[in-house]
Amino acid sequence: MLRSAFPYLALLILLGAVAWSLSFGTLPPADFTFCNGTEIQSVDPAIVTGQPEGRIIQAIFEGLVNWDPRTLEPSPGVADNFRRVTVRDERGNETTKWEFEGLSDDQLTYTFHIRENAKWSDGTPVTAHDFVYSFRRFLDPMTPNRYVFQLTSYVHNADRYYSPSMLQPGDPVEIELYPERDLIGIRGKVLRGYTFVERVLQGEAPDPEDEDAPPRQYLYILEKDGNQHRFLAGGEPGSVPSDVTVCRQVLLDFSEVGIKAPDDHTFVVTLKNPTPYFLTLMGFYPLFPVNERCIETYGSPAWTRPENIVSNGAFILKERRLRDRIRLVKNPHYWDRDNVRLNTVDALAVESYVTMLNLYESGVADWISTVPATSVKTLLAEKRQDFQPSPMMTVYFYRINVTKPALNNKLVRQAISLAINRQEILDTVTGAGEVAAYSIVPPGIPGYTPATTAPYNPERARQLLAEAGYPGGEGMPTLEILFNTSEDHAAIAEMIQQQLRKTLNLDVRLRNEEWNSYQISQQQLQYDISRSGWIGDYLDPNTFLDMFVTDGPNNQTGWKNAEYTRLIEEAAAGLSDIQRDTLSIAVGVAGPVSIPTRMDLLHQAEVILMDELPVIPLYFYVSKNMVRPYVHGFYNNLQDVHPLRAIWVDEEAKRKFWEEHGR
Amino acid sequence: MGWFIIKRLGWMLLTLWVVYSVSFVLMRSVPGSPLSAERKVSPEIEQNLKRRYRLDQPLGVQYWDDLRRIVLHGDLGASLKIQDFSVNEIIAQGFPVSASLGILALAFALTLGLSAGIISAVRRGSLADFSMMTIATIGIALPNFVIAGIVIILFVFLWPLFPPGGWGRISNIILPAFCLGAPYAAYIARLTRTGMLDVLSQDYIRTAFAKGLSERTVILRHALRGALLPVVSFLGPAIAGVLTGSLVVEKIFGIPGLGVHFVNAALQLDYPLAMGLVLLYTTLLYVMNLLVDLSYAILDPRVKLH
Repeated sequence: MLRSAFPYLALLILLGAVAWSLSFGTLPPADFTFCNGTEIQSVDPAIVTGQPEGRIIQAIFEGLVNWDPRTLEPSPGVADNFRRVTVRDERGNETTKWEFEGLSDDQLTYTFHIRENAKWSDGTPVTAHDFVYSFRRFLDPMTPNRYVFQLTSYVHNADRYYSPSMLQPGDPVEIELYPERDLIGIRGKVLRGYTFVERVLQGEAPDPEDEDAPPRQYLYILEKDGNQHRFLAGGEPGSVPSDVTVCRQVLLDFSEVGIKAPDDHTFVVTLKNPTPYFLTLMGFYPLFPVNERCIETYGSPAWTRPENIVSNGAFILKERRLRDRIRLVKNPHYWDRDNVRLNTVDALAVESYVTMLNLYESGVADWISTVPATSVKTLLAEKRQDFQPSPMMTVYFYRINVTKPALNNKLVRQAISLAINRQEILDTVTGAGEVAAYSIVPPGIPGYTPATTAPYNPERARQLLAEAGYPGGEGMPTLEILFNTSEDHAAIAEMIQQQLRKTLNLDVRLRNEEWNSYQISQQQLQYDISRSGWIGDYLDPNTFLDMFVTDGPNNQTGWKNAEYTRLIEEAAAGLSDIQRDTLSIAVGVAGPVSIPTRMDLLHQAEVILMDELPVIPLYFYVSKNMVRPYVHGFYNNLQDVHPLRAIWVDEEAKRKFWEEHGR
Repeated sequence: MGWFIIKRLGWMLLTLWVVYSVSFVLMRSVPGSPLSAERKVSPEIEQNLKRRYRLDQPLGVQYWDDLRRIVLHGDLGASLKIQDFSVNEIIAQGFPVSASLGILALAFALTLGLSAGIISAVRRGSLADFSMMTIATIGIALPNFVIAGIVIILFVFLWPLFPPGGWGRISNIILPAFCLGAPYAAYIARLTRTGMLDVLSQDYIRTAFAKGLSERTVILRHALRGALLPVVSFLGPAIAGVLTGSLVVEKIFGIPGLGVHFVNAALQLDYPLAMGLVLLYTTLLYVMNLLVDLSYAILDPRVKLH
């Protein structure tokens, strides 16, 4: 019975399955569709890094300031105490720019006025307290935050809040108990009014190499009203003596941190040192505000679900389909809603650059953020108006391990740099109009002139190598270029291998490693020469230069230079430019000539870096956006950020365009 | 038969546990950390990140905690990279996509493969046989991405019938299903042909013809059933493979299935996601093989389950 029915049964199952697999829900097409690269890690501003994440977070949240889509200049966001001023440059051209009105004379206190009409997507007002909540959460050690230095480096006491190891006896502290509900990312009850006495590591000091060691626990001895109390941070309840209270963590009392909300519409941030780019940082997505009620109700990651999330940007998260698309719709409560012209936006998660280009060429996507390397030449040759590569704040460079023999000699490093013909690499390998780099800081940062190293000069290279004691490459050890597996990196390394062999008669080998091992090798200085790249986080030379301070986590070259480190630190901590001006007027000399400005200090530092060459810059990237001509409000800029709130589509032109192009 | 199924399911649980343990050890012995990134963070931040994702716990604790959570709650944990979703949710979103694509690819492969195989076997040595088997050989030899490239050029750009990628409409699924199914179709065609030729030379087929049955009846009623056996045993693992997604086809057509998740999770050391997908794949493979064994018993009266 079953035997004879089986073929029909199997056929029926197959047909049913096919019918099921062909049934799709319908989603109406969006006004604007773009390819956003890989699937984003999260929409939680505090925990992500990366450009695809940034594009979405910038659309659904808004910070204190917005970056002007054209110039990246900080302009009014949730804070509105800006005014428009006219400035005249040296050539007498008049331009207008935004001037922030809330900066104190000593440049240490930023007072932001929160605009009255700023609203969350549930209609409630955005207040200064929301920013205090968000910034505290950003600084909470339990928030998995890689960008925490964006506040800890600059804001008064922010580092002491983040790092309990910096607590001093007498400091007021806050004790966070475990939350009652079993949710991640919500805050437990907080006890205040205690002062810090001592912090004791429990058990034996763990061996950092031993992966099987239990996590560290600390016993805090605190004082309140003259009595001592003991708190165990990170322990299990029940496993401790009765006079010890188990808590999640003990931190410096947040009221000690320079982040305050005197009233609903005033948000005050106090800095350690004058930081000219601090206002710019306030427009960088990690510091965008999040909604307290939403997070404390749902916890992480449930608060980020489209049905739960409350945000304050121009758009709302409507739907998330993993690795397919993110559907955004216009936020009806956004304060500047009249100037937001897109109603629905689709961000497609597409990993393959070839697929991106296919989607663009066939009219599915109106904007793609990059194109495959193999198509660049064709697109440029076709002189496509919709493909205009443009300079970016990103540098491609080689790190040199200065702890290795021969490479510890400055002359050898200079010889290697002189022997590399960057233009040849750009002409044959990359080819999208990348710019040869002779400095680590890309050109184009206002007020800064990069310090450069000498360009290609084979004669001089041979001479320097001989001076270093290796005439004709004799006696030089074999060098190895390390790079993470990628065709482009391999092609560049091969070319440099040939150039060094030809010019300096060096024996160079190549070693490619998969991403994780490559990073470990680089961090542990297990390399001779290593490929690297760096994207500037903010429009300031410091974002590139502070990498190479002595023992900095991103130095990774073994290079130590006290003078360099001093210059970078002085630039970060020194007098403000205004104070310098006043000082120089007081002593009656022309300001910048005798007393170096911050930019001068950074420039001097880069001069040292480009002379010592623990890193050899190779080229500056260009952005490779393709945008249809009917898309407006899209501007190329140094950081390759394109806020969706400024973008709009000319529907009439779009229809005409596709009529002409046959779709 | 009931006892057979229970026994096999028992073995499956044991296999899953072994797979879990081996994968756990293998994943943790890969150098690197899921938290590493190009921008190195200070040791203090790294410590906090580890604590947040419970990677600071001793390995033994992690092993038992994860195992307990999976067994007791069926909860595969939270992805370390796609942080807004749990592994269960990622599978719940990705599996139907991979399954739709896989089912269509298989339906296509079966229809095409079986018909081609039967015709080739019956018309052995004819031009039809020769050309179909040549195409099948090419189909096996050609990698997915080459077929994909060809169909994209043909049916997206030269003759714009389909979109080049994406998901959500019927038009999105046709090209990738074809590309995914093509090699399977080729395999099935060859298997069917071989099986068919084998069966056609058997005595009982000669008897059937001698009884005066029509060729059609003999082939579809008597020969095909026997010829299908190798195809069925091929189908078990093939279904499991096709349902859990294909990296290449998913990547080229931008399809949100499980294949790319699988590879990314392994490369980025996203332990929970990689583990979840390995366990899912093991389960599917096991269940499919069980179904194959069961259908053997139905198709071939000589097979006894024990």
